[in-house]
Formats: sequence, structure tokens, C-alpha cells
Amino acid sequence: MIFNMNFLLLDYAIRSLMRRFSKNFFIFLILSLLIFLLASVLMIADAIKLELNSTLKTLPQITLQRFIAGKQSDVPIARAEALLDIEGISSVTPRVWGYYYFKPAGVNFSVVGIDAYEEQYSSTLTHLTQRFDMKLLANKESMIVGEGVKKILAENYYTDFFNFITPDGQWKRVPIAGVFHSDLALESNDLIILPKKLAYAIFGMEESKATDIVVKVANVKEIATIVQKITARYPDMRAITQDDIRVSYQNIFDYKSGFFLSLFSVSAFAFFIIIYDKTSGLSSEEKREIGILKAIGWSSDDIVKEKFYESFILSLGAFLLSISCALFYVYALQAPLLRNLFMGYSELKPTFLLPFSFNLSMVILLFLLSVPIYIAATLIPSWRASSLDADEVMR
Amino acid sequence: MIQLHDVCKSFMQGDESVFALRQISLHVKRGECVVLKGNSGSGKSTLLSLIAGLAQPNSGEVSVDGREISKLPEPFSAKLRRQKIGFIFQKFHLIPHLTALENVITPLIPENLSLSLLDEKAKTSMEQCGIAHKAQMRVNRLSGGEQQRVAIARALVNNPLLILADEPTANLDENLSRELIAQFERLKHQGITQLIATHDPLFFELGFVDRIIEIKNGELV
Amino acid sequence: MSLTPEIIALLTLDAIFCFFGLIAWVVAFRIAFHWNAKATTPLQYTLSKQSYLGAIIIKYIFMLKLPLFAFFIYTCDKLSSIIAGAMCAAGVVNSVDFGLYLTLFKLLNLYLFGFWLLLHYADVNDEKLPFTRLKFVLFLLFSLPLFAEIALEVSFFSSLNISKIVSCCGTLFSAASDSYMSLLFVVDERIWVGLFYGSFGMILLAYGLKNRLLLIVSNALFLIFAIISLIIFFSTYVYELPTHRCPFCLLQKDYYYVGYALYAFLFAGTFLGMGGGVLALLSQRTQPRFMRASLAFNTLYLLNISAYPLVYFLRNGVCL
Repeated sequence: MIFNMNFLLLDYAIRSLMRRFSKNFFIFLILSLLIFLLASVLMIADAIKLELNSTLKTLPQITLQRFIAGKQSDVPIARAEALLDIEGISSVTPRVWGYYYFKPAGVNFSVVGIDAYEEQYSSTLTHLTQRFDMKLLANKESMIVGEGVKKILAENYYTDFFNFITPDGQWKRVPIAGVFHSDLALESNDLIILPKKLAYAIFGMEESKATDIVVKVANVKEIATIVQKITARYPDMRAITQDDIRVSYQNIFDYKSGFFLSLFSVSAFAFFIIIYDKTSGLSSEEKREIGILKAIGWSSDDIVKEKFYESFILSLGAFLLSISCALFYVYALQAPLLRNLFMGYSELKPTFLLPFSFNLSMVILLFLLSVPIYIAATLIPSWRASSLDADEVMR
Repeated sequence: MIQLHDVCKSFMQGDESVFALRQISLHVKRGECVVLKGNSGSGKSTLLSLIAGLAQPNSGEVSVDGREISKLPEPFSAKLRRQKIGFIFQKFHLIPHLTALENVITPLIPENLSLSLLDEKAKTSMEQCGIAHKAQMRVNRLSGGEQQRVAIARALVNNPLLILADEPTANLDENLSRELIAQFERLKHQGITQLIATHDPLFFELGFVDRIIEIKNGELV
Repeated sequence: MSLTPEIIALLTLDAIFCFFGLIAWVVAFRIAFHWNAKATTPLQYTLSKQSYLGAIIIKYIFMLKLPLFAFFIYTCDKLSSIIAGAMCAAGVVNSVDFGLYLTLFKLLNLYLFGFWLLLHYADVNDEKLPFTRLKFVLFLLFSLPLFAEIALEVSFFSSLNISKIVSCCGTLFSAASDSYMSLLFVVDERIWVGLFYGSFGMILLAYGLKNRLLLIVSNALFLIFAIISLIIFFSTYVYELPTHRCPFCLLQKDYYYVGYALYAFLFAGTFLGMGGGVLALLSQRTQPRFMRASLAFNTLYLLNISAYPLVYFLRNGVCL
């Protein structure tokens, strides 16, 4: 009863597959394609998740926003100082930032205001303030831009300065002092950094307010408690923690993967029907062969076993080929076309390298979604083949 | 070796039931060589199928080597067929794209034997039939006579106790027919029971044949 | 409903099981009522062919259910990272009212189908096919928990709510829990451990006496007491924490996935023991291979699980 492999039968099955090469190759190809698509999508999702998780670590631990009438509104800076009273908070930084819509290119720039003397809340910004002289920036009222911004501006004939249009219709000329390259491409490609005063002017914001407040705590485990305290003190403030972002990203990815999979399963179902049909239709030669086998002493069980080996080899082969191709496609070729499924298409979203992430559980998942399903499709056709009457075939 | 008792077999042709065999009783002793004489449509092939366990009689019993093959469940009758019976078909019924060697070992595949044992059996059988030199050739490239020899080698590979032959010389010329008959004689001397169904007159005057039984319209004469 | 790829895989395979299960059910129904091994009618001929189909389908379902059980637990474990409060599969499973029943049903079905396959092999290897009708009548019965399990699984995944906070295993498997788990704690842990070793002693006795009924009963008891003693006593030594009593956390990376091995030994051993006993009763022949294999697996489980408190005591000189 212990599963004991009959290698001769396996060999017979392989030869049998090769004998009906065109039919089996067609099935093999389509199966491989389907698994390849599936594997690629799952790998891309996983890789982007990994990238985002590492980005996540650079995000603030707690971000506080103020909501009035259900809409986000500016936060009085006075609150930032008041919050320092709460035990466990190590630093509080009010931020001034927003999106500036550049109509000619139809894109949004992210504009962040920085003060030279403040402790920066993100390591990227810390690097930048060290590389560029922020005091000079403030004095000269100029800005530093990301590579993508520089490119867009150049395309629109702005080479070393840019004219912002403020909310009251005034033009504000800001020279470009430098361009930064950042490893964290996702974050910074569409970024413009300028002194806070400029930011206030461009957005038409009051200088006693900030867009939001970023809070750093001494003990990561206390985040939840501190959030409670903050919201108790200022009920109109909403807190977003790193964990919240992580969970929502995971959900978006799972949702998107799930959505794709649901669509995919429709085509898989169609394929299922095709397989069933193809393997059901035995040519007269195949029928004759089964008749001969039964006549020389093979039982129905042996024939079913042989057919099972055929299906297993075919689907396993397709599975292995697809996984290898998917690995190559996603990590070596960086998945052209498919990655937009998750990334969304935006002019300023740059190319970044999908980090390599490969885990056994994904292989098992892909296996479960391919091989057993293919075998299920061939279950009844195999049985039908095995129950052919040798006698009738021989006549 | 073979015992048939009051065996009846009928087929459905459209709405009608057609009798292929009526009340057949037969007894073949171990080692006997029996020729079953009859024209096409007389029921010879059906009789052989029943003995091989490939079909079930409507009534009556069929026993081979003391076991009632007609009542055995399919896996058991297949095993009996595989281990004790060798079948030589009218049209050879070889698997065309396999080599001679592969065709010969096919009956043994479900037995899950070791490769060396399998090799040995196949070699012995093929040498006996004089076809060992063509082991690696595809059977659809062999001549009629060579294919016949492969078919016989296949029937003999499992050292059967019983050989069933259905019109073995129907597709052969006179020379090849005589060669085949010589094989049958050799098998007779080895003590293998044989039941040969044929209407070829070459078989009706052979010294080593123990009995000739005539079958007409499904009944033994 | 949160549709992770793992959940989709499980649900797709469930759909396949449902579809094939229905076909097998129809086949079983016909065989249960019309099977006559002695008849030579065309109906009997068709039925004997269809009995193969039934057997093939059930084999397929069982072969898949084995790894899928482990995969289900793994999926729940993975979901624990997005469901608030859950830190391992236990939390996820218990976030739905019938989650624990679903897990137990899955285990039950594995045992039932395994027994069915044993019966099938005993049947098919006997010329008289003595158990064919019994086999399919049993399948008609066993298909009920199968369909129930599929239905439960579908509604389990649909009811998962990522925003509902669930209890973690620390509170679930403790004396303070408000589920029936707390009843287990009323009894002194030494009694449970004693019962555990005692039932193993019964297995040895059954093996020595070659008594089939005793074998079945002792294996069943061993399974029950092994799980209870694992929760109450042994798991605390695996985690080296007197309040951590979860049977699911063993399956996590932190503990080198030792849970998979332990459960494999336990389930294999008790299954072979009970199955071998049932088979022996039905075929009136002892099944020495089963008994030996069962004893081996059960012993492996016993030795491995006893090693934890022993090693802890030797290293630290005290018990938890």
C-alpha cells in the first residue's frame, strides 16, 4: 500500500506522451503560459511588498492629521509643543508639505518644506540636509529637486528655475539649486525640497499651521498607548501608525492579487474544459493501444496509473518550466508590462529594481494551483479510457 | 488446463440479441495442442476471448489453470492473463511506435520487476523466436515475418502455461506460416498447452496436434 | 472577505472536491443499492467499472487533503499577521465561532478517508471483493462530514474579519478562558500526563496481546490524551514559558517548525494503529505491518515530546 513507484510504467508514460507529441505539446504550452502568468504576478506582488516594507521602516512611526468636518485640515503648530508633555514621546516635528499640480505635464510634484535647524524625521531628508547646504537654500530661496522633476521641467523648457503659481495667482520664481539622486527611488523621484517659508508661500498656508505632525516614540511597543493618549487630548486628530500602513498595503496587495486570481481562474476554468475535452477524445489508435494493453494483461488500474503518470509528468514539467521562466522574467527582465498591474501607471513613478524574494510557501501555493487542478481535469477522461472494453476494440 | 462448462455468449446487434456461442463445453488437458477449426463468424475468436478472460459469458463457467476466470474481478483476471496466458493475435496487435524489445516487455510492466530480470526474460524470449538481433528497431519498420516473431516473443515472455492463437497465419505467406507452425511444434515439446483457432488447412494434418475441434455457428460439432 | 492567494487556492480545491465528491456520491449510491458480486448482468458490469471511478476520486481527494491540512494551518498562521490580536494560527482559527470545529472536522475527515482507503485496499486485494458494498455505504456516510467541512471552510473564510480584534493563544488556552478549554485545567496536569503515558502502556499491551479491539481503543485514547497533555503540559516546555500553552505556535519558525513533525508522528501512529485494528477485525487477519509502523510512530512522538521537559529539567534543575 505504501506508494511504490513503478519506473517502467513511468517510462512507458513518458514515451506515450512523446508519441502524441503535438497534442501534448499544445496542452503543455498553454498550461505553462497560465502558470507563468500566475507565478509572475505573485512574485511581483511579493517583491513590491518587500520593497514597500523596507520603505515603511523609513516612514514616521506616528503621523498625526487633523480632521474638520471629515476633511483633512491644517494643524496649529502650538499643538506640537503641547504634545511633548506626553510620556514616551521623544520628538515631535510639524511638517509642511503638499502636492503641486503642474498642468502642462499633467503631473503632481510632491513639495516638502524643510528647516535647516530641525531634526529631520526621515533618513532620506537627513542625508539631503547634510549633502546640500540648507542655509544657503533658505537665503537664496531656492529648491532641490528629484531627477524625475528635473526631467519634466526640462521637457517644459524650465532649465534652472521654475515659476510656481500661488493660490492667489501670484508667480513665485524659484531657482533650482541642485538635483538629488536617492536609493529610495519610489519616495523621492517626484520630490521638490525647499525652505519652509517658501512652502508656506506656494501653498498659501498660514505660518502658524502645519500640514501634519510627525511623532517619534522612545519605545516602539508603546505606540498604541501613546496614540490613545494623543487622541484623548485632541479628539479631532487622527493617528496613522507604521503598522496601519503595513496592514493596508498588505490588504491592497492581497486584494489586487486576489482580484487578478479571480479573473485568472475564469481562464483557468476555460482551460480545464479544453483539457477535459482533449483528453476525453481518444483517437482510434489510442483506443486500439488500450485494447492491446488490456489483452496482454494490463488491468484497468494499471491503465489509470499510467494515465495519471502522464498527467503528473506533463503538469509537473509545465510547472517547473513556468517557475524558472517567471523567475527570469520578474527578476532578470524586471517584469515589463505586468508590473504596472500593481504599480499603477504614472509618469513619475520610476524604475526601481524588484528585490529578489523567493520563498517555499509560494512554490507550494503555485504547485497547488496548477498540478492538482490539471490532474483533476484528466481524472474522468483517464477513467473512461481505462474502462474501454478490450474485446470490442480487438474486433 | 482449460475447462468450459455450458458456456453461452451473446451480443447485442441493434435491438436483437445474437448468439455467438451456445452451450459450449470443452476440456483441454495440460500440455495438449488443440486446433479449433471453423470459418469466420463461427465464434472462434469469442471463445478465445472468454478463455483469456477478456469477456464474460452470459452463462456457464470458464476455468483456466483451476481458477474460474469468468468470475474473477478484472484486476485478478488481468493478472492471470499476464502471468499464465500468452495471446497471439491475427493482426499481431503490436504497438507501432515502440521498438521490438519494448513491445516484448510490455506485458511485464505492471509486475514491477527489476530491470535485470526483465532484460533477462526479454532476451530469452526474443532469442527463442530468432528476433533478438532486431531488438532496437521500431516494429512498424519490421517485415511481416519479423513482426510475427515479435508478437510470439511477447506472448512467451512471461513463460505462460497456455498459448491462445487467433488465426495466427491469416496475414502470412506459406513460408512464414510453416515457420510459425515449427514454433508451435517447439512449444508443444516444451509442454505448453496450446489452443489455436484457425481455418488454415496447413494446421489440419500436423503430427504434433493432439485434437482438432470443429466449431460451427457457435456450437461444437 | 479577504482574498489572499492562499485562500483562493484552498477554495478552488474545495470546489473541485465538492464536484468530484458529488460524482462519487452518486456512484456510491448506485453501488450501495444494486451491487451484486455474483451477478453477470450488464448493470453489475457497469457498476464494477464505476466502482473504480469512485475509488479513484476518493484516492485523489485524500491524497490532496493530507498536505492541504498542513497548508490550511499555514494559511491561518500567515493571516495572523493581518488580523489584529492574532499571533499564530490559533487566534485566526478562533476568530470565527466554528473555527475550531472546522479544524477538528478536517482532522476527522483525514482519519475517515484514510480508513476508507485501508478498507479499499483490503477489498481490492481479495478475489471475492468482500467489502465493496460496505465501502460505498460507508462513503455515503463519510461524505456528510466531507461536505460539511467544505461548507464550513467557505463560510470560515468569508467570515474572517480583519478589523475584529481576536484573542491570542495565551488567553485562549488558559484556565481563565471562557471556552471549554478552561475545563481541561480543572484537572491537575499530572493526571493528564499520567493518562497520556498510561494510554501508551495500553498500546504496548495491545501490541503484546495482539488484541485488535484494544489496539483501536488504546490508539484513540492515546490521540486524545496526547493532544490534551500537549496543550496543558508539554507545550510549556517547548516554549519554556509556563503560561504559553498553544498547540499552534509549535508550527512556527521560532520553534523550528517542530510542530509539523510532532503532529505527523502522532497522527500517523494513531491512524495506523486504529486503521490496522479495524482492518484486522474486518479481514480476520492480523496486520503486523500496521501495528509495527503505528508503534514506531507513536514511540517517536512519545520520545520527542518527553524530551522537552527532560532536557529542560537537566539543563535547569527545576521544572516549570
